[in-house]
Amino acid sequence: MYDILQALINGTFGWGWPDWLIYLISSLVVVTIILVVAPLQMLFFTYYERRVIARMQDRIGPNRVGPEGIWQPIADGVKMFTKEDIVPEAADRIVHFLAPCVVVAPTILMFAVVPWGPGMTPVDLPTSLLFFFAVSSISAVGLMMAGWASNNKFSLLGAMRAVAQMVSYEIPAVLSLIAIVMIVGSLSINSIIEYQAGLLISNRDLPGIPDLGLGWFVFTPVGFVAFIAFFIAALAEGERTPFDIPEADSEIVAGYMTEYSGMKFGLFYLAQYVLNFLLCAITAILFFGGWQGPGVNWLYAQAITPTNPDGNGLFNVLAGALGVFYFLLKTYIFFFVMVWLRGAFPRLRIDQLMDFGWKFLIPLTLANLFSAAVWVAFTRWGAAEGMLITVGWSPVLRWLAAFIITLAINIGVYLWLTQVYAASQAERRRVELEELSATL
Amino acid sequence: MEVVVQITFGVIAVFILVAAAMVVSVRNVIHAALWLIACFFGVGALYMLLEAEFLAVVQVLIYVGAVSVLILFAIMLTRQITGEGVRQLTNRWPVVLAIAALLFATVLAPTLINQQWNVPPAPPLGTPEPIAGPAELGRGFVNEFLIQFQVVGVLLTVALIGAIVIAYEERARRRKVLTLAEELELKRLREQTSPTVSEPVEAEPVVQESRSASER
Repeated sequence: MYDILQALINGTFGWGWPDWLIYLISSLVVVTIILVVAPLQMLFFTYYERRVIARMQDRIGPNRVGPEGIWQPIADGVKMFTKEDIVPEAADRIVHFLAPCVVVAPTILMFAVVPWGPGMTPVDLPTSLLFFFAVSSISAVGLMMAGWASNNKFSLLGAMRAVAQMVSYEIPAVLSLIAIVMIVGSLSINSIIEYQAGLLISNRDLPGIPDLGLGWFVFTPVGFVAFIAFFIAALAEGERTPFDIPEADSEIVAGYMTEYSGMKFGLFYLAQYVLNFLLCAITAILFFGGWQGPGVNWLYAQAITPTNPDGNGLFNVLAGALGVFYFLLKTYIFFFVMVWLRGAFPRLRIDQLMDFGWKFLIPLTLANLFSAAVWVAFTRWGAAEGMLITVGWSPVLRWLAAFIITLAINIGVYLWLTQVYAASQAERRRVELEELSATL
Repeated sequence: MEVVVQITFGVIAVFILVAAAMVVSVRNVIHAALWLIACFFGVGALYMLLEAEFLAVVQVLIYVGAVSVLILFAIMLTRQITGEGVRQLTNRWPVVLAIAALLFATVLAPTLINQQWNVPPAPPLGTPEPIAGPAELGRGFVNEFLIQFQVVGVLLTVALIGAIVIAYEERARRRKVLTLAEELELKRLREQTSPTVSEPVEAEPVVQESRSASER
């Protein structure tokens, strides 16, 4: 944004405005865009989810307000605004009021590091991936505040469940990300996306092949396992259906949101859908190349960039539009998968959830971390690092060897873990039954 | 620019101090914990001001996201959260205050008087800032500070094993919550083993269990 404004104001118009003013204007524009886009995504997602889930349950879904009911979310928003705001008498007023703010603020902050297209990152932090997950973990405090301040047993139970689930599924999520970070060698989301340019088998090893932007991590064994583990953990973090224990409406009313009404309830809803959007987006970015896709890099190479200041501004717009199109397409597909899972699966029990997270996902992601180390050793290390086997191999051979070895490790670990996990679950069930019959 | 940094530092410092003072003076334990979180957050902002991005982000991730949540968890399992009717100060608190101030002064006064405050001169413009990013920090952990790193790892493992041992002992005495399927299974087993009707096992909710554990 700064580059474009700089080129436009000082270059095209020649007004010669000072740097700080341009910085201020560009920041304001970016912040405004984010604050407008985040609620719009939420509005669209509520409509999208309701239509899709309705189709899966053989209904039609919202279809009254506007053509095919597309204004339904706006009508819902108006309804939320006009409702009475009720605070329970025994509640802790200040904390009750602050909780929705503490839940919403981090989800909006997370937008700050999400790249929408080539050169379209609001803030390019060198540690943006870590920032994303650090900020997302703040909302756990907000949930805790909401659950406690409502002075309601259901709220407290819901908050306890939500936080226990978030804390234990953050570990496999972050472990699967570390595998990607190891391969890329950077914590910056932008460099992770740039690394996924090229072909199915990474173009940096095969010169002279057109850059199709298809070198996605999901095509490698390490990336695939990381993707599966991360997506499951993301479902748990976004409280999507197989893991929607915190707000299981048939058990504890609405969990931590029970005592909220009107726009405060709306804010919790907003936070949840924005978080879901962000989780889908980060899955698309880390494992499916974000805005990478056929044509984007070719277009962007001819646009105005810091390295190429005399490009054509039209290509900025074209590359941006195509990049945003690919990015949103991938994100919406992942959200479709989330809704699909909601339509297909029942809810897990809390002990099943914890068992699966701690006894299956974490060992799997740890093994995947080892595979990632093998991958880096085979594809990038030379004699200087003590990797003597691959000296003199061609890049393609190295890549192939890494692929086969990591595939073997991951499949082996997966098969072994499923066996161990199934055996341990069966054993536990048997012991519990024995205990039961012993009580007779 | 320098002035802006000074003002920002002042604001953050006042915020941290106020939050820290509130932590120890508020009666409600949950409020104290929330003020503590605010204090952690302020420290993160201070790191950000020092341009140590990585440390700031890690501060938020570990302290705000994990440690404080554990503190809140622990507090919610205790009773007497509001702290009303609990005396926080003894009758002789002025004496304690005097002793504490005296001891603090004995440590701090010589430092304040004798310290040369040799602030290093600002590096010439254009030199890259020696701020440790994640890569340098990681290299430090596996090279220079390997022993410390390993010792901390062992310590954490010990704590983990201890937690497992405690939880495992508890599990043997736990009354189980039965699902419908299990109750059915139990009923079937009971009918097989004894035709006479025995006392049905009450399914106690988990909340009861945690309370009795804290009473013990």
